Amino acid sequence: MAANYKTDPILTVDGLKQYFRINSRFTVKAVENVSFRIYPGETYGLVGESGSGKSTIGRSVIRLYDPTAGTIRFNGMDISGKVSRSDNKALRTQMQMIFQDPMASLNPRKKVEDILGEGLDIHHMYRNSAERRQKIESILAKVGLAPEHASRYPHQFSGGQRQRVGIARALIMNPKLIIADECISALDVSIQAQVVNLMKDIQEETGAAYLFIAHDLSMVKYISDRIGVLHLGHLLETGTTGEIFENPIHPYTRSLLSAIPSPNPVVEKNRVAESYDYRTSGLDYAKGTEHLVSGTHYVKCTDEEFERFTER
Amino acid sequence: MSENKEKILDITDLDISFRTTAGDVHAIRGVDINLFRGETVAIVGESGSGKSVTMKAAMGILASNATVNSGTIRFSYHHEDGTPESVDILQKDKKWIRRHINGKRIAMVFQDPMTSLNPTMQIGKQIMEGMIWHFKTPKQEAWNRAVQLLKEVGIEDAEKRMKNYPHQLSGGMRQRVVIAIALSCNPDLLICDEPTTALDVTIQAKIIELIRKVQKERGISVIYITHDLGVVAKVADYVNVMYAGKIVEKGNINEIFYDPRHPYTWGLLSAMPDLDTDDERLYTIPGSPPNLLHEKDGDAFAPRNRYALEIDDKLDPPMFQITETHSAATWLLDPRAPKVEMPEELRNRIERMKREANEHGSEL
Ligand SMILES: Nc1ncnc2c1ncn2[C@@H]1O[C@H](COP(=O)(O)OP(=O)(O)OP(=O)(O)O)[C@@H](O)[C@H]1O
Ligand SMILES: Nc1ncnc2c1ncn2[C@@H]1O[C@H](COP(=O)(O)OP(=O)(O)OP(=O)(O)O)[C@@H](O)[C@H]1O
Ligand SMILES: [Mg+2]
Ligand SMILES: [Mg+2]
Repeated sequence: MAANYKTDPILTVDGLKQYFRINSRFTVKAVENVSFRIYPGETYGLVGESGSGKSTIGRSVIRLYDPTAGTIRFNGMDISGKVSRSDNKALRTQMQMIFQDPMASLNPRKKVEDILGEGLDIHHMYRNSAERRQKIESILAKVGLAPEHASRYPHQFSGGQRQRVGIARALIMNPKLIIADECISALDVSIQAQVVNLMKDIQEETGAAYLFIAHDLSMVKYISDRIGVLHLGHLLETGTTGEIFENPIHPYTRSLLSAIPSPNPVVEKNRVAESYDYRTSGLDYAKGTEHLVSGTHYVKCTDEEFERFTER
Repeated sequence: MSENKEKILDITDLDISFRTTAGDVHAIRGVDINLFRGETVAIVGESGSGKSVTMKAAMGILASNATVNSGTIRFSYHHEDGTPESVDILQKDKKWIRRHINGKRIAMVFQDPMTSLNPTMQIGKQIMEGMIWHFKTPKQEAWNRAVQLLKEVGIEDAEKRMKNYPHQLSGGMRQRVVIAIALSCNPDLLICDEPTTALDVTIQAKIIELIRKVQKERGISVIYITHDLGVVAKVADYVNVMYAGKIVEKGNINEIFYDPRHPYTWGLLSAMPDLDTDDERLYTIPGSPPNLLHEKDGDAFAPRNRYALEIDDKLDPPMFQITETHSAATWLLDPRAPKVEMPEELRNRIERMKREANEHGSEL
């Protein structure tokens, strides 16, 4: 099943702001007025530099933070405030997050079979213990791990194996939306490809939507239907993968694309990427408004900047 | 190669297994790696192939269920007064290593930043800790240097960030704090385990530049463990390709990228996503990594190798020397083996890479 744009979006984020107050003199404005939507079966890639607010958006969506402003709707229901107990329980199966730091998100005292089985137990997703075990072994196999890995503890794995345990934990619940935060970054290319192919298959089968957070643009290009480019908490540019890669408008997006490393030693050792520095760029993100480029391609900037970016 | 190069790390015949409830996992099966002063070596290979375990052994920090079955890890350095010293890390106890080696002479940037950061301690204190403990650096001086390091790894508002706790930082910021800690004590050998996986390309470039600068200034040696072949292409002088606890191919950077010989290396290079192709599915190396719990005879890669010969099921191939720097463990290099070419698609890709390289004035 491909992305279904004819129905209502599965996730709508509107004017999301997320601030963190560190002390009276220092407040981190992690997310500034961000809006986007994701449709069933769609993969939305969120890219941007370290600290730009990608994980914070993901964590706000799965309700780990109270938004400073804005609304988040899942399946039409407003989930940015308080929700009823039964809605909360449903949300916990329907939305899953694969966390960026697998070691910090896996309970070190639990064996993998119990980490994977926990959600199944809570939501009574099996008839007997044989079915439970079968579900666990089959998901392990799908992410490229062996049945005997089920009896190990998280610290007894390699980094990439641990990351796959986190992926398996999310996939086993059959959610409608998966927030995948840098979920393949610790994997070698062959296993990255295996996991990405697996995620595509599961999407095909179940129509799940993905919010795919990553900094590796070549993988994002491959998996995403649409892409959003985030910088300093602002969503600067969004559009289909083709629109962004073939016609990047914002200078920040352009610098990102020019910095993709090439696996060619001589070329790579000679390459100079386009540089971009917000402070000296003369841009003021806070003044920007949405400008339509074409189709579904939008850029956030002032009218004057828009003219400058597009006259080429 | 010049004769007076100074060898700083020499790992020979390293063999390690882990005890688990399901049986012994034979994770490292005879690894040889050496490294000279000022050089950069990359270790690449599939997830679970033993890259991190090998380097943890060099730091003397193996997990408690590990057994070293054989091998030596010789590390050479100079005392403060200049006298040379050479030790086998495997023969030293943990306390000695902590006092004389870890952080001070060999520093490691761990793959999972949260495992090496203390969640209840401000990050500034964590960066200052090593300088104060190893060198008795005065507090104010350590503070200044910590702020400086945070700036160098590209963290804005460095002074304000000093007081942050790890959970208040983004994933990539935490990774950069770990890099700052590793650089704080001016080590002779820096081991970076996936140091830039969580970093976007611009900051990644900045970190790589920083490490290269330190390397030039102080002549330190660097080991990069990474699956990102773009990073390898950028930084490495030499590359070791690891598969199932063994080095299966080693060579200088151009030999590995433009003239790979081992079928596993072919698979690895073929699996790189390529911005120029629009395939529906990505190439993956068929099959799965061997289960190191149940070892079998012969070449561990044979079941996944479509070029495998009959002998591969019986006998593990030795390293065949190709040039002075290039060698690979595959029976395909035996003079009696039938002549086998790398996959056509990869050959085309390499031809294209060579053409691009030649446009940069290189003779390949
Ligand atoms: N719990 C928190 N308390 C205080 N500040 C926080 C918290 N979580 C995030 N921040 C801050 O918010 C900003 C955005 O962080 P976030 O983790 O969203 O970045 P990111 O885009 O995911 O970056 P990376 O690619 O490095 O993971 C950072 O400046 C970070 O320090
Ligand atoms: N404490 C442990 N107990 C049992 N097995 C272990 C332990 N630590 C590591 N292993 C196993 O040893 C093998 C090598 O692990 P290592 O961490 O070196 O892999 P790696 O090459 O670094 O992989 P990655 O790229 O995924 O980080 C893996 O199969 C792993 O499961
Ligand atoms: Mg993040
Ligand atoms: Mg590792």
